[in-house]
Amino acid sequence: MAKRIILAGLCTVMMGSCFWAIAQERKETPSAAAPAQNQEAEALAGGSSHGVATAANHGGETARVLDENAMRIEGEKRFRTNCGRCHMAPHKFPPRTMAMIIRHMRVRATITDEDMRLILHYMTQ
Amino acid sequence: MWTWGHKKKRELRVLYAYVNSGLELNRRRGTGEHCLLRSHPRSWHFKAFRFVFLLTALLSIFLCVERLQGQTNEAPDIKPVPVLSGSAGFITTFDGGDPHLGPIVTGVLLVPLGERWMMESRGTFESDLTEPQGVSGFHGKVRKEVDYAQLDFIANPYLTVTVGRFLTPFGIFNERLYPVWIRNLQTDPLILPIGIGPSNASTGAMVRGGFKASSEFNINYAVYYSALSTATPVNSDRFAGGRAGVFVPKARLEIGGSFQHLLQDERSNLFGFHLVWQPQSLPLDIRAETDRSRRGSGYWLESAYRLNQVPFWRDELRRTQVVARMQQFFVGALPSDALPTENIKMFEFGLNYYLMDGMKATASYGRQFSVGGNKNVWTIGVTYRWVVPLGRGGN
Repeated sequence: MAKRIILAGLCTVMMGSCFWAIAQERKETPSAAAPAQNQEAEALAGGSSHGVATAANHGGETARVLDENAMRIEGEKRFRTNCGRCHMAPHKFPPRTMAMIIRHMRVRATITDEDMRLILHYMTQ
Repeated sequence: MWTWGHKKKRELRVLYAYVNSGLELNRRRGTGEHCLLRSHPRSWHFKAFRFVFLLTALLSIFLCVERLQGQTNEAPDIKPVPVLSGSAGFITTFDGGDPHLGPIVTGVLLVPLGERWMMESRGTFESDLTEPQGVSGFHGKVRKEVDYAQLDFIANPYLTVTVGRFLTPFGIFNERLYPVWIRNLQTDPLILPIGIGPSNASTGAMVRGGFKASSEFNINYAVYYSALSTATPVNSDRFAGGRAGVFVPKARLEIGGSFQHLLQDERSNLFGFHLVWQPQSLPLDIRAETDRSRRGSGYWLESAYRLNQVPFWRDELRRTQVVARMQQFFVGALPSDALPTENIKMFEFGLNYYLMDGMKATASYGRQFSVGGNKNVWTIGVTYRWVVPLGRGGN
């Protein structure tokens, strides 16, 4: 009887975790998408005058570079946290080779989707 | 006095007991003798595992539908190419004074099939060369083995379905740390054979994945079923099981557990727990695993420290890693071909030097204590890992 209770408990925890994860992602999606939408809206709104448009483009480029840097730093952090559990130092390979290795490690090491993307971004820069 | 009534009651009691334990009882007509026909395939363990497996499958289908639009490819503008990876090593072991030469070559083939599929396989060629008495030189046979050959379908960010022959995800050593270029000490942990099957792999199906459960921790899991295979060297046992772990990225700490139910022989349960911790402030790896089964139990605890923070000889010491491992094995109630036949306690100390990218020199000393006699185990060797892209644009 105790084993059945433990088994039922494990199933409940597993299902609960899955639903929780989905709920978390749904909650995070609008806030993450909002800045990008705002940037696009601002750029579109500023398109009426040439000077304003140039400034908007320049601002967009700066934002993109900052975003790239932030992704690279986060990618390095994720690499050290996830890959560093078994591998010692960062080994960089060509992008298409790295994409294959990352796909393999995603299955082998059960790393998350988000971690996979950031690590690939870091390893292919 | 042995009457019909007593006999009938005893028969009913026996029948009830056997039915309750998942076994069928048959009464041979004429003799009144009870005999065990066969193990009942619908014992509660079987039902429980079937329930868990179906539940996971249903959940997977739900998540597939839920996340069908979700991106699962790594990056839309980078198409992966087939890759041939692998490692080579030459490990010399002095086990109680007897020298063993161990050349090993392992190849891993990775082939992407579209955006969501992947085929992966690993083959190993290895030998254990010894010096027989009265014969000069080292002799031994080359062992060839397909460690795994599996087809993976990345269904969604939460789930990957695997079919074929795959490394049994019981504990952490077999699946994550086994290759010679990854492991810190070249000797296997004493408890490695527990829960991984006769050839370290399973033949069947598996669902697995990892996902962010909250901003604080990730969850990873694997649920699998293996069928019986007697074709050497790709033999496997019939069992079902799972492994789950919680990973806290901020603390770099992973704690997890494994469970397996053998669906043959004694139909026993196996349990395992593992821990991996990398403190933020130190270049230190701490790994531990404990397994329990009816054929044997034990644990290993390993720590590896990279000498990055030593203020002198920086160039040399940052490439150097010192390792220590303690392990213990306890013989179980049932015999096992793969596990030791007596209780063993063992301490090991190792030194790894990373010569270049993917290449390291390794050495270790271990002292083994057992009732049958204590002995020293020395190892020294070199390992190398390579990656070769097999498609255009891989370089």
